[in-house]
Amino acid sequence: MEIAAALPLRTPPKLVTRLTVVHLVEMILAGSFMIFVVLPAIFRFSLVSASFWEIYRRFYVTGLFGTFFYVAMTLPLSVVLGFLMGWARVSRVRIFSWPSSLYVNLFRGLPPLILVIFASLFGTNLVPQPILDRFLSGFRRGDIAVGLAAIAIAMHSSAYQAEIFRAGFQSVPKGQQEAAQALGLRPWQGMRHVILPQTFRLSLPPLGNEFAVLIKDTSILAAISGTELVAKSRDLLGILPASGFPIVWIFAVWTVVALTYFVLTYSVTRGLRILERKFHTPGLEAISL
Amino acid sequence: MIRVEDIQKHFGALHVLRGITFDVQKAEAIVIIGPSGSGKSTLLRCINLLVEPDSGKVFIDGVHVNRHGIRHEWVRQQVGMVFQSFNLFTHLTAIENVTLGLTRVKGIPHDQAIEKARKLLARVGLAAKENAYPAELSGGQQQRVAIARALAMDPKAMLFDEPTSALDPEYIREVLDVMTVLAREGMTMIVVTHEMGFASNVASRILFMDAGKIIEEGTAEDIFQNPKEDRTRSFVSKILR
Amino acid sequence: MANWRKFLRDRWRYFDAALALAVIIGSLVYIYELLVGSRGLDVAYITRNYPLYLHAVFTNVYATTIAFVVGMALGFSVGWLRTARSLSVAKFAASMRVEKRERQEAPSGSEVTRRLLVVLSLLWYGTKYVVRRVGDGFVEIIRGTPLYVQILFASSFFIVFLPQYASEGILIGIIALAINTGGYQAEIFRAGLQTVHSGQIEAARAIGFSRLKAMRYVILPQALRLIIPPLTNEYIGLFKASTFLFVLGVQTEISYIAQHEGFAGDVFEIFAIVTAIFLAITVTLSFVVQALERRFRIPGLGIEQVRLPRGVRTARVVG
Repeated sequence: MEIAAALPLRTPPKLVTRLTVVHLVEMILAGSFMIFVVLPAIFRFSLVSASFWEIYRRFYVTGLFGTFFYVAMTLPLSVVLGFLMGWARVSRVRIFSWPSSLYVNLFRGLPPLILVIFASLFGTNLVPQPILDRFLSGFRRGDIAVGLAAIAIAMHSSAYQAEIFRAGFQSVPKGQQEAAQALGLRPWQGMRHVILPQTFRLSLPPLGNEFAVLIKDTSILAAISGTELVAKSRDLLGILPASGFPIVWIFAVWTVVALTYFVLTYSVTRGLRILERKFHTPGLEAISL
Repeated sequence: MIRVEDIQKHFGALHVLRGITFDVQKAEAIVIIGPSGSGKSTLLRCINLLVEPDSGKVFIDGVHVNRHGIRHEWVRQQVGMVFQSFNLFTHLTAIENVTLGLTRVKGIPHDQAIEKARKLLARVGLAAKENAYPAELSGGQQQRVAIARALAMDPKAMLFDEPTSALDPEYIREVLDVMTVLAREGMTMIVVTHEMGFASNVASRILFMDAGKIIEEGTAEDIFQNPKEDRTRSFVSKILR
Repeated sequence: MANWRKFLRDRWRYFDAALALAVIIGSLVYIYELLVGSRGLDVAYITRNYPLYLHAVFTNVYATTIAFVVGMALGFSVGWLRTARSLSVAKFAASMRVEKRERQEAPSGSEVTRRLLVVLSLLWYGTKYVVRRVGDGFVEIIRGTPLYVQILFASSFFIVFLPQYASEGILIGIIALAINTGGYQAEIFRAGLQTVHSGQIEAARAIGFSRLKAMRYVILPQALRLIIPPLTNEYIGLFKASTFLFVLGVQTEISYIAQHEGFAGDVFEIFAIVTAIFLAITVTLSFVVQALERRFRIPGLGIEQVRLPRGVRTARVVG
């Protein structure tokens, strides 16, 4: 806010606590110990072998970028959908609250794998023909199927985010809207300056968790041959024995994949925690789901 | 200044306001007392149109406001309100709470808004706390910020809905002092409260409400010492122990 | 003029509900049209095949339950280990300084035994710390990696070390699911045990309970009430995750969908059956959860903000 810039700052909250640093150091130490000592000694494969990476590099990079692409595609979509659904859920207008309630319960009750398979097989039937012709005619049917499956994952996550946002809305103290009205703020102004800032601050902690889950869920696309990390690594496994690596090296591949996902989810959750601390205002109670 | 004529309000089957009529002159401070459930809060909210009366008329400065075509936001700029539970915006500091209305409703540029907010906070005695968040302030301090926030809009009149009922006893004094000064400076106010001391000192008139009707009206002396109606008498005797 | 507006406002709630229903039914009908259309609902398919689907679901339930129980043993042990308390470095240094001062004031005892005790206590607390952190690490890894990858890991393990069992999809799946749920349950158990841990054990010992008795009569009863709601939610989550058995070649309801791929005929019916099954089970289980929660609730006792895998309902901290 511009006003905040003009005023003398209070002592800003500590963004990176000592505990965060200690945990990070522990992790790096333990990780390096495992990678450089334990794995080669006990399992007889190494994650830092140059010849291994020669053949894996291509697959890994393609797969990683694929995963990034899917995350970039699904995350914003899920937040927008989740927010709208969450907002609708708390509305007194039943045209909004009933359908969104149905949506949330439907997409939370179905496992993401089922949604992905349905979307990939039958999703194209649900898209109206004119849209298919105009916008999507350039794409192969397989690609459209994977894209629709990604959208299904986004919708699945949005159902959980809707609950998070709903709880966020309901945690905003009740008199806030009245006070905003009494000042003469118009309804949309009250929303923008009073209700929504508090809703977002309250929703942030559980949201970070949900983002991590979304990143993990993109791996489901491998089941329908989407271009992402798990699928590509599986492709590599096909040629691994032929390239002269003993069978134990399967573990090398999956360890790298697991490590990658771990780094991704860890950074997202810890990063969001830092964001939380930056925006923390004393007095806003943590959300209760 | 403010006049209400025959206000009626139902909440479902509950007939909360059964024909309220009174008026408030400019620079008058009137206090409304009465048992809980008598409709006092609802009456206040009918004046600044947070609640719409089913029937009856509300006049502010001669303008009939509860009809089609009058923007509610305009009405609320004429009449400020202070709530029992303060309702400060928890994500904003004290000074930001005060400047929000100035910049977003009145469109004042933010340097001027800050200056004005500072003066108001000083007026309620909280100049040092301008960067504190509501959670860092005591109840009495929060309520005083709420008063500053309402005053920032330069209202013609102020409504107070049981401003000290949610406060710990040691903080009631500081809020009442601010309100007393405000009244002496000539602010038109309608205060719903249980603080009889304040009522005796400050109010030009006291209204006693029960079950949605005004039972009796008069000066502090009239109501507290010579109540005419039975209900007034029994209520007053319970309050003034 | 004003009259019909007032009429609308009074009756608004009914219009509102009616319109909401209209929107819901409308969209359902639209989807039905898209998928079934003029073909007509193939009821015969449903009546013919639902035993297959029920059998598949039973497989899921079976796998889920076994994995859940095994996971519970794993989760409890890890969770319990994670509540091991060790000294912080600062406190240890402070106690060393106190010791040094005492030694200077009243020198007694042999130097060797004292040094030995210091080393032993360092080792003891050090081990506790490492054990706790290893437990934390295990949980972080399980929660930080996708279930799919964990399943592939388990599958690889079998391919490499136990190739004779590598084709037993169910076995591999149950093991992977058990480890996965073990990780999440470890978090639940840790939170439950820790919430009760502080003070209660000391109070119990003060009365005269042995450590074991204190565990049995004081800690566990309270801890059980705290962890049952999140545990049942975890069961529901595990049931949904058990659909992953499909990727291991186990016949689940999804395999029927995949097998019927080319035959785009009975899409809606399959969709309807599968959705109905899952919703029925999850909704029923949710009701069970709520009933259990109500039965086991102690006013004033609630589990803290447990970081659950899914944003399902938990009891909130009270008091």
